[in-house]
Amino acid sequence: MQRCKLLKCASAVAANNTPFIDREEKARTLCGKCMTIVLTDARVAQVTKLIIVVAMLGWCAPTPAHHVLGRPAYSLNEDSNTPPSMQVEVQIGEYLISYMVFPAFPRPNVPGRINLYAYHLDTDEPLTGKVTFKVREDGWFADSEEEVIGTQLPDDNVYRQGFVFKEDGNYIITAAFEADNTPYLVDFPLPVGNTTPIGLLGVVIAILGAVLLGVSIAQRKRLARAKVRTARQADTLDARSSNDMGEL
Amino acid sequence: MVEYRNQFALIWRHLNKVRWLILSLVFSLLVLLPFVHVYQTYLAAHAYDLLAPGERQLYDVMEALTAPFVDDPAEDLDALKGSTWSGRLFGLKLSDPLAAASQLAAGLTFYSPFLLTALIPLLATLVLGRFYCGWLCPATLLYELNTNLGILLNWFGLRTGMRRFDRRLKYAVLALGLVACTVSGSVLVATVYPPAILGREFYYAAAHGGLGVGALFFLATLLFDLLVSRRAFCRYLCPGGALYSILGRYRVLRIQRDVSACNDCTKCSAICEFDLNPLRDGFGQECNNCTACIAVCPTNALSFRWRVTDIPNQGSGHLSPRYRREQQSQGPTRGEA
Repeated sequence: MQRCKLLKCASAVAANNTPFIDREEKARTLCGKCMTIVLTDARVAQVTKLIIVVAMLGWCAPTPAHHVLGRPAYSLNEDSNTPPSMQVEVQIGEYLISYMVFPAFPRPNVPGRINLYAYHLDTDEPLTGKVTFKVREDGWFADSEEEVIGTQLPDDNVYRQGFVFKEDGNYIITAAFEADNTPYLVDFPLPVGNTTPIGLLGVVIAILGAVLLGVSIAQRKRLARAKVRTARQADTLDARSSNDMGEL
Repeated sequence: MVEYRNQFALIWRHLNKVRWLILSLVFSLLVLLPFVHVYQTYLAAHAYDLLAPGERQLYDVMEALTAPFVDDPAEDLDALKGSTWSGRLFGLKLSDPLAAASQLAAGLTFYSPFLLTALIPLLATLVLGRFYCGWLCPATLLYELNTNLGILLNWFGLRTGMRRFDRRLKYAVLALGLVACTVSGSVLVATVYPPAILGREFYYAAAHGGLGVGALFFLATLLFDLLVSRRAFCRYLCPGGALYSILGRYRVLRIQRDVSACNDCTKCSAICEFDLNPLRDGFGQECNNCTACIAVCPTNALSFRWRVTDIPNQGSGHLSPRYRREQQSQGPTRGEA
């Protein structure tokens, strides 16, 4: 006689019945009594695991993700080291300028930061002089008056300029510096808060285009007739010849 | 020949509608792609909660538009990227031949990975001619709408321009553009090439919320077309049009006139946006196979043929009164002979 090795069962079973519970295939329990207990336990264990996993997922869900599945999240404040909302590289004169804006989604009344890097194209030496940052509104009918935000010296080869905007809008940041007795002025865009990517002008153009497209489809035969009539009236048809095809 | 014509006439007559559909689709995609790109950056940032109301609207709209087509938008939407100047279409990198030529001129180096991206468009142009201008160019849709606007203005009594210039002007623009690329080391041609301008400007609008100076240039070309001559920029100034015309000079597929079915109504020549003369078999290398002439032909006399050259002027259409008069006048002479 052997005893079932399961703690909850521990019944005596016949010798030819191996009271061994295969952990991989729990149904192989041979004592009968034991099998019921094992299956029940397995289900309880599975349900318990499921509850734990769901609870963990539920707990994890609202967590701000910085690196989820290998994808870097954008910076959430001006001091984040994660990618900025915007990174622009521009070559001007003898310098290669990189410009970044933190946080990823600048908001009114929320501190933000501009990082500017300037390296000489030939020598790869960083710029060492002062850089003055100015700002103005962007737009065809916007106020073009510039305001100086600050003048910065490099800190570890980075020019850092903080900002706080009070209103939503599209702004232009101008970085001004002088190198080798040459003045440099570089403009960068900076959208703050709720800015529309299309704008009033875009909406007007889109509506005009849609109306014109609609008319072109609905009135296509009349338009074709009018096109033919116009060409005939203009008497350009006779002016064309098969030899005048602009061949090289 | 008559049987051949009748067999495909129905298809060819409706190709112009298909072309408009394709142009609209390409244009819509070009407008949509920058916004899709912005949506992808929001997705990658897991930033929905951080978005401003306007940005959330954009996110929601893009999500609704793309959800039926992709499972993982952040990854799957990478299938379409760029513009008609140079982009990626389901893993296939494609570039405008002008992009390749100007890059070659600017860099003076044979960078095969980029140049190979222009191979498929190049081969297609060799077969189909200047089809890009008529079937794919996003600016063409706007230029054709602009032509229609001109006609609408004519209805209201406002005259639009009908001047004619030398078509060879655009080859000079192409040559100058490539020389400028070489001298400057920069792809300057793209600054005066409407499809490249449109692609750029849509990205500017989506990413920076504004338009660049290219938009003003494009507006100027629309006004030029309206006030000076119909499709003037494409016909006389477009460097891409010039390159496509040269490449398509010996295109294999071309429109030809069946003189036995032609009644000399002149509609084909009148409708041609490029001011060509299908009525007298004058297609040349400028023809972009737009099929507008086929669509307007009342006797189905125009159709596609596999030929590397145009048929020389076949004279008056056999269904025209002029041809009958010519026949009547020649008849007795031949009889006497």
